Amino acid sequence: MNDLIIGMAGSGGDGIISAGESLIGAVAAEGYYGMLTKSYGPQIRGGESSCRLRVSTLPVLNPGGSLDVAVILDWDDFLRFGSELPVTEDTVIIFDVKSGVDRTSLPLNALWPKVLCGVPLEDMAIKAAGVQQAKNSVILGLLAGWLGLSPDSLLAGLRKKFARKGDEVLQGNERAFAAGLGHARVNPLRRNLRLDRPAAPLKRRVIADGNELCAKGAIAAGCTFFGGYPITPATEIMQHLQTDIWEHGGVVLQAEDEIAGVGAALGASFAGKKAMTATSGPGLSLKTEMLGLASVTELPLVCVDVQRGGPSTGMPTKCEQADLFAAVFSAHGDTVRPVLAPTTVADTYGLTVEAFNLAEQYQTPVILLSDQDIAQRKEIIDPVDPSRLSLVNRLEPTPEELKDYTRFRLTPSGISPLSHPGMKGGNYLAAGIEHDEHGAPTANGEIHGEMNHKRLVKFLPLRQRHDLFVMEGDPDSPLGIIAWGSVAGIAQEALRIVRAEGLDARLMIPKLLYPIAEEVFADFFAPLTRCIVFEQSHQGQLYRLIRMWVKVPPQFESYARSGANPLSPEDFVSQIRKLSRAGLRTEHADRADFLNPL
Amino acid sequence: MISTDATCAGTAATPKDFKSPLKPIWCPGCGDYGVLNALYRALAAIGRPPHEIAFVSGIGCSSRIPGYTTAYGFNTVHGRALPIAQGIKLANPELLVLVAGGDGDGFSIGGGHVPHAIRRNADLTYIVMDNQVYGLTKGQVSPTSPRGTRARSSVYGSMESPVNPLLYTLAYGAGFVAQGIPGDLDGLAAIIEEGIRYPGFAFINVQSPCVSFGEPDNQVKVQRTRMRKLAAEGHDPSNRLRAIELAQDYGQELYTGVFYRNPNPPPTHGSQVKALQDERKALKAGAPPALSETDNHPTCC
Repeated sequence: MNDLIIGMAGSGGDGIISAGESLIGAVAAEGYYGMLTKSYGPQIRGGESSCRLRVSTLPVLNPGGSLDVAVILDWDDFLRFGSELPVTEDTVIIFDVKSGVDRTSLPLNALWPKVLCGVPLEDMAIKAAGVQQAKNSVILGLLAGWLGLSPDSLLAGLRKKFARKGDEVLQGNERAFAAGLGHARVNPLRRNLRLDRPAAPLKRRVIADGNELCAKGAIAAGCTFFGGYPITPATEIMQHLQTDIWEHGGVVLQAEDEIAGVGAALGASFAGKKAMTATSGPGLSLKTEMLGLASVTELPLVCVDVQRGGPSTGMPTKCEQADLFAAVFSAHGDTVRPVLAPTTVADTYGLTVEAFNLAEQYQTPVILLSDQDIAQRKEIIDPVDPSRLSLVNRLEPTPEELKDYTRFRLTPSGISPLSHPGMKGGNYLAAGIEHDEHGAPTANGEIHGEMNHKRLVKFLPLRQRHDLFVMEGDPDSPLGIIAWGSVAGIAQEALRIVRAEGLDARLMIPKLLYPIAEEVFADFFAPLTRCIVFEQSHQGQLYRLIRMWVKVPPQFESYARSGANPLSPEDFVSQIRKLSRAGLRTEHADRADFLNPL
Repeated sequence: MISTDATCAGTAATPKDFKSPLKPIWCPGCGDYGVLNALYRALAAIGRPPHEIAFVSGIGCSSRIPGYTTAYGFNTVHGRALPIAQGIKLANPELLVLVAGGDGDGFSIGGGHVPHAIRRNADLTYIVMDNQVYGLTKGQVSPTSPRGTRARSSVYGSMESPVNPLLYTLAYGAGFVAQGIPGDLDGLAAIIEEGIRYPGFAFINVQSPCVSFGEPDNQVKVQRTRMRKLAAEGHDPSNRLRAIELAQDYGQELYTGVFYRNPNPPPTHGSQVKALQDERKALKAGAPPALSETDNHPTCC
């Protein structure tokens, strides 16, 4: 087999996440691609935890659907994750016999897995290492044996991990690993889980998550100022920058609140630096007024929103794509700001650079709309090639223009040169209050109209940014699919499945969500008679946003689901099949009744 | 262009160099005119050219002040001048960064930012034009209004005790705390200049009367008769405990001058940032650029 999904669940402290990280490290070393997603209970610290690892010989597009292997340290913890760790009768169930559960008492709602494998995990751990905490090393040994992974890569990982804990702990875990490996060898599974060997990687691959690559992308873009406040699931962006930014002459300010974080970043931008803030939904709400100030003063600023479940505190550890409306609309007055959404971990790097480029080019705040899934999942990816990046810097006044500098000069493009303190002759007043070309406050309606026009007309070129859209599939097919953010990878896999069945469709993945690139959408919709938008929000926010701006195909449907309910390729495939049959409506057809619970 | 940058190298700066062509629209008799004039004088004495000065404010009558100077001005949103100013100063430590606003801006909507600017010892000069009333919205109680103030939002008298800006900033640990009045232009110009020269966060409370909605017994001329100069009282500004004692009389006695000046200022936020940047740059000198570090990411846990 060339694609395998492993899910594991236990209590906090069982080392489930740690085992997942060891595994992804080992499979990366052997040349596989992989994706590791972690999931926790409602509390950010403590309680149950789980992870799922998808390993493949090909790049992994999404965490996948039902599990091939479930490792269950505690049944109650496992069951709490529900649809996040779905099992079928083909799932190999590995569990601790200590739970007392057997074939007759499986708590799986009358589902009878073909392969059920009780292992004395805790006993083996205590026997080998003297402590039950070594259970996760036993699991790694079992999986190495059953999956056919090289014990060397896993042992190397264990050595690295326990190096600081002393010889005794390390040797205990090595013995626990050996015990698991031995058990797997003498107890072969009835279902073969051995992975095909991967094609040897051309380059050394990298394991990273979206938040890390956002931070690295920011530095590559030339960001030298970050202001922010800790918030799940965006905090790691600040942490990575806090490690790396100083040597580039930059600063990280952990501010007293979300507003101060974005305010300091805006101040740094006023002072001429590329600046960023990062947050999640509640923080975006707080930063809104400052984003409006950035719009009216026409100052570049990148604001990352790593979406989590909302509204309000919502579900801090769960993924949702429900901040789209907030990203696009949450400001008073007639403002537009570009909203970009990365689709993979690797994509986050380049799109962060793009966010800075748009901010500098158009002297505007830009929202990078990441999500919890992309931000925190680890992927094995090919190294990013920074030499292919092009960087944009803000338009500065020429010495000639500085002789009679007019900060907000009305120009055909809407873009006027931007000076900064320290630049002689560039002195001006930046103000939240409406201003004339010179920056002087005004309450004149005519000037207000001209300035609104200036601040909007500059975004017109974005209508043609075809490069910010990924198109896949058959360009002549009458059947269209749209998906964005972390959901895009699920739609890509679904498209491949239906095409393999002989059903052609065309997929669009917008990375520029706003302003709506009307030309790109019009081109995409032209040959379509039917189209479906997949997304993870209750209302189908992108579906509705598109309908505000573009003439849509005759049958334009939404398949949208609230966050924390995993979407799978199989799920999408069945919707696409339904849509392909003329006259049939998909499951969530006509979302005018979106108040109906799903 | 609403501002000019007239100061030339070699010629001494004059107050006029900092005066913008924009005409102030404060009410005639407003204390803020005096603050503006004192500021022009202080800036002339400091002698930095206007383009090296960033002047940040919030919202309120007093927050219009940056537009009346030739410096780079940033008239921001209500209560957020301090975080924005800190971003500017950290981004370019060479700049002289001034912050101004009213008592509502600094001690009500933006009150949460004051202790943090102080504990970082951000190298800013923060001038609060404290008039004990919301003037721009035409006369509501402010955080520094005395209890019982009858205003448009408290027609039966306010129920809250006032914030004491002097005591607050001293308690937060500010290294420079002073108070002035616009009626004493020389004294006010002198403390603004001293505040700018102080290496770190300098707080200057100006009892700047509101001619339209303020109390009749707290207007520019009356203040001159009430003021008690701390220097004349023999106050030693290095004595923090005595400063705290004197500050408790806010609202009763009108002390002017420097309450406290830390004789041993702690390092500023900017100087610590610079030191860390230099240290990290030195460590990384010769190492491959950070971009390629993506390749070196450990492939194991």
